[in-house]
Amino acid sequence: MFEPFHEVVTNVSKTILEHEKKTDRPVIGVMPAYFPMELIWAAGGYPVQLWGNNLPLEKSDAYLQAYCCSIARSVLELEMRGIAKMVKGYAFTSLCDTLINLREIYRRLFSKPTLELSIPITKTVEARRTYLRSVVQNVTDGLEAITGQKITPDALKETSQLFGHVRALQRNLYQIRREKPGLIKNHDFYTVIKAGFFLPAAVYAQMLEKLLGNLDTLEAPNGKRPRLVLSGMVFDPLEIYQLMDEFGADVVDDDFANGWRTVSKKDFQVGNLSEGVTAYLFHPAPCCCIYNPDNDRHAYLLNKVKESGADGVLFWYMKFCEPDAFDRPQLMKRLKDENIATAFVDLELSVANFDAVKTRISAFCEILEG
Amino acid sequence: MTEFAAFKKMKELLTNYYIEAKTTQEKPIAWITSGAPVEFLYAMDILPIYPENYAAMCAANHQSVELIEAAEAEGFSQDICAYARTDFGADITQGGPAAGLPPPHFLLCSTNICKTVIKWYEVIARKYDVPLFIVDTPFLHDGLTQELIDYTISQFKDLENFLSDFTGKPFDQERFFEVLYLSREAANYWQKMLYLGKNIPSPFNSLDSFIHLGPIVTLRGTKECVDYYKLLYDEVAERAEKKLASVPGETHRVLWDNLPVWFKMRRLEKFFEEHKTTLVVTTYANSWGGYGNFNLDQTDDIYESVARSYLNVYINIGFEDRIKYLAQLIDEFSLTGFIMHSNRSCKPYSIGMYRLQEELSKLTGKPGVVIEADQNDPRAYSDAQVETRLEAFIESMESISLN
Ligand code: SF4
Ligand code: SF4
Repeated sequence: MFEPFHEVVTNVSKTILEHEKKTDRPVIGVMPAYFPMELIWAAGGYPVQLWGNNLPLEKSDAYLQAYCCSIARSVLELEMRGIAKMVKGYAFTSLCDTLINLREIYRRLFSKPTLELSIPITKTVEARRTYLRSVVQNVTDGLEAITGQKITPDALKETSQLFGHVRALQRNLYQIRREKPGLIKNHDFYTVIKAGFFLPAAVYAQMLEKLLGNLDTLEAPNGKRPRLVLSGMVFDPLEIYQLMDEFGADVVDDDFANGWRTVSKKDFQVGNLSEGVTAYLFHPAPCCCIYNPDNDRHAYLLNKVKESGADGVLFWYMKFCEPDAFDRPQLMKRLKDENIATAFVDLELSVANFDAVKTRISAFCEILEG
Repeated sequence: MTEFAAFKKMKELLTNYYIEAKTTQEKPIAWITSGAPVEFLYAMDILPIYPENYAAMCAANHQSVELIEAAEAEGFSQDICAYARTDFGADITQGGPAAGLPPPHFLLCSTNICKTVIKWYEVIARKYDVPLFIVDTPFLHDGLTQELIDYTISQFKDLENFLSDFTGKPFDQERFFEVLYLSREAANYWQKMLYLGKNIPSPFNSLDSFIHLGPIVTLRGTKECVDYYKLLYDEVAERAEKKLASVPGETHRVLWDNLPVWFKMRRLEKFFEEHKTTLVVTTYANSWGGYGNFNLDQTDDIYESVARSYLNVYINIGFEDRIKYLAQLIDEFSLTGFIMHSNRSCKPYSIGMYRLQEELSKLTGKPGVVIEADQNDPRAYSDAQVETRLEAFIESMESISLN
């Protein structure tokens, strides 16, 4: 059932090249996080999300210090090694200091065009609106220049429905996971989500529909294993889920930037682009990278634990990610005050040995089992 | 450090400032980032407190490790900016030279130095349950644009409303313009003083300017600040006139990029002295000179020029502009090389530095070195490693001058 998704995730370059040819669209590399993919597809591009992989870092070290997160280092490695050569341009958001500077590094090192969706962090609503209008204009101009195609209202409407449909299907998958813990192996689940980073939306939607059709009929295995909510920026490395499947723990929900924080986004509103982008960026799930006091992460995470019936929260910390690191102590304390068990693991994409992580997670699960 | 009579005055000023901060009953207290538009606060009689400055003081007093460790014990990761960790620790333990900072009534944060400060101030806002006002000044990838200026001005106006609501008084624009004037005056003296580094030999070095930064950061917008920098300027100008060198036998003149290593000032000073190397100019100290550009002559343009100054900060500009600026400094200050401090704490200042070094060396023909260090966390610093690299760099300048 999950084989086609595994196939994609283990053959990323092949998948992208194949669909690049089929769709005859320029591949746009989408950097973390929340760049509305709809704009790229509507402009005639083929968005591919780049969240790094586990390649050893050989070349990127020359430009990114060891204190940068492994997402940034790994993504740069892909371009420097020529693995991302099919990418014709890069779409950034101003998510964090690392990514802002990373864009500048790309501009100095490579000739590929880059564009940035600068995220306004202000409560001054009118200022945000006006500024975002110009940002969105620059972004769409930039995309159109790469693809040589105009974004038409019709294309945008159609695309919004397509991508909205994909996220709705992903939400169904999340729903099934919440309702039937253990039915979908952790490793299969995140493989399904990850496959979506590389596939054209329509192809991915078909695969998801087929999968969901099959899943509907199945029942969860008997017996209860520890149930976890995971919170962090990035759900990789996938190898850890294999380990969790082996020693027995069920992820029932998550709060990942490339997981639920994106999957939960509603259909992109096309009537007014800058309003659409605002809604897309700031709702519904809060993110450590997007200041939004009206959407409190503490209350949100507490609610998630309650609704998913989780036994505890595991913070999935990508080393050197400051936005995530700043929030964690207060969040953990708050959860503890509400009698929710918490733990955290330090991770890097290029980890080759998972023994320490495994020990830590299984120890946490033992605590949860009491 | 170069001996300046003004030093005593500075100590007195900063002591008084912290005494007022700790004892004031009347004035509301705002914690503010070093790049935030403080003039709005002074206009409303609000006392600005600078956690970054306090963190630097703690490190310069060799107190940062214990504070950092207190923050880490509460779960704050070693990966976050050591200024934040130092201040969190000072807040937890009420430690450091002023025994902690007075609790804030609200927070003012500007993103022109980094986005990290948003996260830092969110933690504080939550802890003290106080409002956080953010003046968002997006990164200038492609220089200043009217959209960016307008965006910033709108937020200034909103800040005025916020302050007015907070204090229950109308925003005092007249006072605001006076404060801007004082800021500009102080920044101008500061800038003029820094530019005396163009003299050969240089009458001061950058370690001096780091030490004398305190008032331009914390007292910018006050009369005392203007008076102080006038005093300092006069003193440095006199040294320049007399051709007094900060580093006797000055042979190499270099630029320092990024924050200082606050806990290694003495040792580095000795090291550079021994190697007859003057740190002549820094992008960091220069940043405060930018507030000398306020155009206060036409009422209509005032907000625009303030917005320009707060947006156009070195650490907030694209690499193309950074390289141009660095090359200009190398030329104007007759430099023989440059040192870039890859600062583990400060990603926005440091990420991309290795590329900048390559390009700048190529463009100017001057050798440059990147050293791996940290502004506030001595545990992330190795004397041997840094000094070996610096020695190799100084040798490379020597071989160039011999050629
Ligand atoms: S993991 Fe964190 S630091 Fe790295 S790119 Fe993402 S938000 Fe930035
Ligand atoms: S040192 Fe750098 S990261 Fe830390 S507060 Fe200052 S500008 Fe931000």
